[in-house]
Amino acid sequence: MSAWTGRLARRRRAGGRQGVLALLLLPAAAWYLVFLLAPLVVLAVVSFGVRAPNGGYIPGLSLDQYLGLSTRLTAVANTLALGFLGTVGCLLVAYPLAYVLATRGGSWKTVLMAFIVIPLWTSFLIRTYAWMFILGSNGIPRLLGQLGFGEIQLLNTPFAVVLGIVYNYLPLMALPIYVSLERLDRSLLEASRDLGAGSLATFRQVTLPLSAPGVISGCLLVFIPVMGEYLIPVLLGGGKTYFLGNALADLFLQSRNWPFGSALATSFVVVMVIVVGIYSWATRRLSSPGREGSLL
Amino acid sequence: MTRSEPGQRPVYEDPDELQRLLIERRLSRRQFLGGTALGAVSLALAACAPTGAASPSAAAPAPSAGATPAPAPSANLGDTLNLATWPGYHDPADLEAFTDLTKVAVNMQVYGSTEEMEAKIRAGNSGIDVVVPSNYAIEGWVADGLIEQLDYKKLPGFVRADWNDRFMDQSFDPGNKFSIPKNWGTTGIAYRSSKISEDISTWKQFFELAGTKYAGKAVIVDHQISSIGSAAVALGYSLNVEAANELADVEKMLTALKPKLYAITSDVQPALRNLDSWMTIAWTGDGLQVGRDNPDSKYVVAADGGELWIDSYTVAADSPHKDAAYAFLDFILSPEMAAKETTFCLYPHANNKATALLAAEIRDNPIIYPSPDRLTKLEYASSATYNSAARAEMWARIKASA
Repeated sequence: MSAWTGRLARRRRAGGRQGVLALLLLPAAAWYLVFLLAPLVVLAVVSFGVRAPNGGYIPGLSLDQYLGLSTRLTAVANTLALGFLGTVGCLLVAYPLAYVLATRGGSWKTVLMAFIVIPLWTSFLIRTYAWMFILGSNGIPRLLGQLGFGEIQLLNTPFAVVLGIVYNYLPLMALPIYVSLERLDRSLLEASRDLGAGSLATFRQVTLPLSAPGVISGCLLVFIPVMGEYLIPVLLGGGKTYFLGNALADLFLQSRNWPFGSALATSFVVVMVIVVGIYSWATRRLSSPGREGSLL
Repeated sequence: MTRSEPGQRPVYEDPDELQRLLIERRLSRRQFLGGTALGAVSLALAACAPTGAASPSAAAPAPSAGATPAPAPSANLGDTLNLATWPGYHDPADLEAFTDLTKVAVNMQVYGSTEEMEAKIRAGNSGIDVVVPSNYAIEGWVADGLIEQLDYKKLPGFVRADWNDRFMDQSFDPGNKFSIPKNWGTTGIAYRSSKISEDISTWKQFFELAGTKYAGKAVIVDHQISSIGSAAVALGYSLNVEAANELADVEKMLTALKPKLYAITSDVQPALRNLDSWMTIAWTGDGLQVGRDNPDSKYVVAADGGELWIDSYTVAADSPHKDAAYAFLDFILSPEMAAKETTFCLYPHANNKATALLAAEIRDNPIIYPSPDRLTKLEYASSATYNSAARAEMWARIKASA
């Protein structure tokens, strides 16, 4: 709010700078126009059309595609349920990890943090494909079998999909939490202890609330891309776990139903905008004064 | 569309690299359905797999170098030809031979499915000259004006009498006005006889065993034409089943079967090689490749029916290099070149003269060339099957079911 009015005021004071500012903003504006706005408009326009008998697109003003959205509710429900589990899994692993790194890391902090980031240097596809061999019958199940667990199938189960999500998205959860914990003012912890709170109470009443923006950022950084996840259900779910991303891929690449695919994608974008709206509202409420509202 | 996997981008961005991988690994092009990148990495990684590592054997001996086709007339053909085709389908040496002859460089783009090719040429201005779609797409492409009627005057080397009637003049293109076969193949059953004691010979048997004795060990492909089609055959219906009640029967069967399947994926080889799966719907190339590395792996064309398919050369209606396109077709369809292409990709050819030129071990391989009586019950997937909204929705319901 204040930044915006401030900018306006400055502009009024120095009207001559306006042209320079406009010039500087031009590349960014053009970028957003061409690569964000235009595709979204195309998507929205196509979503009101009709699929031609042979798979083409007939322009129109029909709501049929939107009326048919309910046929993909199972896919949405699958995505929400497993996406939620994956996000919670990420949080449960990432929080203690980030906490230990931020508070006990010492001089190793940066190096340890790098270890979390290094896997991102390898292709997402290859890392996920590697899990197929770890979870396949010659991997962990064979080890478990030798320990007397009998025949266990891990690959191509919803469990493998959640595991894939936790593994692949962990850095996106750990980094913002780490940042929020790292910046935490240690004197607040001392004050809490001086006032008689035990370490659990200190964690619950001081550390956790102060790291909440990091947690929320992390959750969104994980949850939003997982909503569009396509590869993990295909590779680790064996195509038996059907996500929204898979429904979209099928609509464009198998049944060539562009209008329906566009309607599904457009609805998805709208829902995600609402989710992000709730997010920024929540972070603004949770963040203490003087702290950045959003880490996104 | 909104797909955004970081992992897929590098492969798509660098077609040359992908192509190199494909050629090296001799991939089955069909395992690419549903994601080109998946297939590329699949074999790259299969090499690291604990067992059944892919080890493409040395190429079969090339057919005796016959007479090289007469050079094309010295018309100005331009310097480029854009070919949209399947992975591992063309011998780079054959394309280079064309370049040497005509000075036209062939720019090959590979696709994992006919649907992906269609997305490109339907968008228009793709620059694509020659496309190699599967039979089921051709009627729709003709109706929508995506491919042009072939000018046989520009194909002086084409001799209709040399071609096998089982693959020519079919209902999807009467008189071959728009398409000429590149290679054909079957959709059959691949299984590991070391684990499966039965001799599987029908789709009925496949689907019964998949839901009972071998629950958790069967794979069906992620392509409604082949999976719904084969299940329909198992129930005694046509591959191109259309009646609502019959489709409902197929859906009931597949929905009940789904929890018992090992996977629904077109990348069938890794699981079959690792013995994670024991039986799968497979295309000719998958059966051949897994069988080459695992002697216990069998590939059968089902006795109760199923799919026969042809990928055909077509010329895009908005092709920017039409003269080059025809010169290329005339060159690559000559029996000598067709035999070389077949020796490379190991899918059967519809030209009898080309077949006669093949090494015996290819011509007599029952997986590549099943005996003609095996083919009589097979059906071509129709354009209606390919474009069926009912089947598409049904497939989405089956895949989404618990």
